[in-house]
Amino acid sequence: MSQIELKSVDYCYSLGEGRSIKALKNLSFSIEKGQFVTLAGMNGSGKSTLAKLLNGLFLPSLGEVLIDGVSTKDENSTFEIRRKAGMVFQNPDNQMVATIIEDDVAFGPENIGLPREEIIERVDYALKAVDMDEFRTRTASKLSGGQKQRVAIAGVLAIRPEILILDEATSMLDPKGRREVMGIAKKLNEQGITVINITHNMEEAVLSDRIIVLRKGRIAIDAPPKDAFASGLIEACGLSLPPVLQLAENLKKDGFEFDNQILFEDELAEGVCRQLN
Amino acid sequence: MSAIELKHLTFVYSKKTPFEKRALDDINLSVEEGTFLGVIGETGSGKSTLIQHLNGLIKVQDKKVSSVIVNGLSATDKKALKNLRFEVGIVFQYPEYQLFEDSVKKDVAFGPKNMKLSPEEIDARVRRALEVVGLDYDEFAERSPFELSGGEKRRVAIAGVIAMEPKILVLDEPVAGLDPAGRAEILALIKQLQKDVSPTIIMVSHNMDDIAVLADRIIAMHDGRIELDGTPEEVFCNREKIAEIGLDLPLATRLRDKLVERGVNLPDGIVTPKQLETALANLKSGGLNERGDDNV
Repeated sequence: MSQIELKSVDYCYSLGEGRSIKALKNLSFSIEKGQFVTLAGMNGSGKSTLAKLLNGLFLPSLGEVLIDGVSTKDENSTFEIRRKAGMVFQNPDNQMVATIIEDDVAFGPENIGLPREEIIERVDYALKAVDMDEFRTRTASKLSGGQKQRVAIAGVLAIRPEILILDEATSMLDPKGRREVMGIAKKLNEQGITVINITHNMEEAVLSDRIIVLRKGRIAIDAPPKDAFASGLIEACGLSLPPVLQLAENLKKDGFEFDNQILFEDELAEGVCRQLN
Repeated sequence: MSAIELKHLTFVYSKKTPFEKRALDDINLSVEEGTFLGVIGETGSGKSTLIQHLNGLIKVQDKKVSSVIVNGLSATDKKALKNLRFEVGIVFQYPEYQLFEDSVKKDVAFGPKNMKLSPEEIDARVRRALEVVGLDYDEFAERSPFELSGGEKRRVAIAGVIAMEPKILVLDEPVAGLDPAGRAEILALIKQLQKDVSPTIIMVSHNMDDIAVLADRIIAMHDGRIELDGTPEEVFCNREKIAEIGLDLPLATRLRDKLVERGVNLPDGIVTPKQLETALANLKSGGLNERGDDNV
């Protein structure tokens, strides 16, 4: 059984007066436990809608979303599904509920009514996992964007999720903040948490096992990064190749040849070097 | 005459409290008209405080020591302040959050109205501004800004600033949060605005690749001071300083360095992909190892 399974899912937004827009059309796919998946697509492609379907914030208009075999439509399981799939959103300033960082992280465990010792233990674990332990008694307003997003991730981790969904969680951060958040996501993934990173930054996509690209509410690409970039479909989906790969493509016009798809700077440097020396 | 002349500009937040922070520390800067100035620096380095001084949104703290003069207007002269606001247009981060009117037309007209222009002139400016940002007047004028896409909203917000036809246009992270298609559109638009509306452009960005391609001159800020100032080639040659103040090199420069480490003979001063491609193509064809042209 897959951890996440979508079966012929449609999602429609109502516009009132009986009119609606279909944001997702007949989506079927599954995600296995422990995968690091990039969910990409241009603005309006349906990727954030899809993310909200994964933890039951939205329910499918048609079809089913199953988490560990349980449908998100099953009202008795809503709580359990939200615990399993935690989300971090785009704006670091919109997700803080408390002034002091450890209080913010404790908000989730308090809400599920855990005993005090357990809350303390979980806050400890979560803040250590995102390398924010030394900030625990500080005020959230003094943090950088990257640090705020790490605290937001800690807030999710304190609920002991099995799936971490980052909904454009890096798009408002500077490069340093972006690296911090992606580094944490990668580390958590190595510890077994499934990560679904929603982004249109293809440099982040390089870090994942698999890229799912949505276009007009349908899946246009579903492949490992190298194959996705080689598909020739990335640009047609309103995305762009990672800058390193773009450069490699341009160098091919100048007579350079690369046998493998280039994803990393060192690969490109090696490839170019071999052909010059 | 310089478009912008800053002398000994210092600004301290929360002065005389435990939270005192020196956001600008004795900044001296002169920018010629027609310059595309890139401003880089980590979050908290003073970039935003600097740009908000340019049109008087932040008042000069110590008028005896500091001066801000923009196109001959002094920011410390109360009478000049109103004109200064029209001289320098600032497009803030996520400007679409600042849209507030119920139609695109009214939102873009807000600035020109404040300039007390005639209704005909206001209408003409709204039409021109929407045309420049690539939004069809007949299609968009009466629509609510809130039902537009992210990229369209940002265009409306930019139109609202350029409808005042500022000689100096300041953009703070203008492509943050946009998808690749939106980014490319807005960056091309900014180049066009420099030709059509505002000859002097100041762009704040964390993206070194964008800045390296677009700017003629870059200032790198750290702790309220200008640590580096020069052409992109000059600024990004200073690798130790760039690293020390927490910034990245452009991709082309990083790759150039990786190639040089591996024994490839490449000149310094490669900051754009085009420059790197040209240099490598020359090496490949066995041509003279000469410097690629600087064009963008």
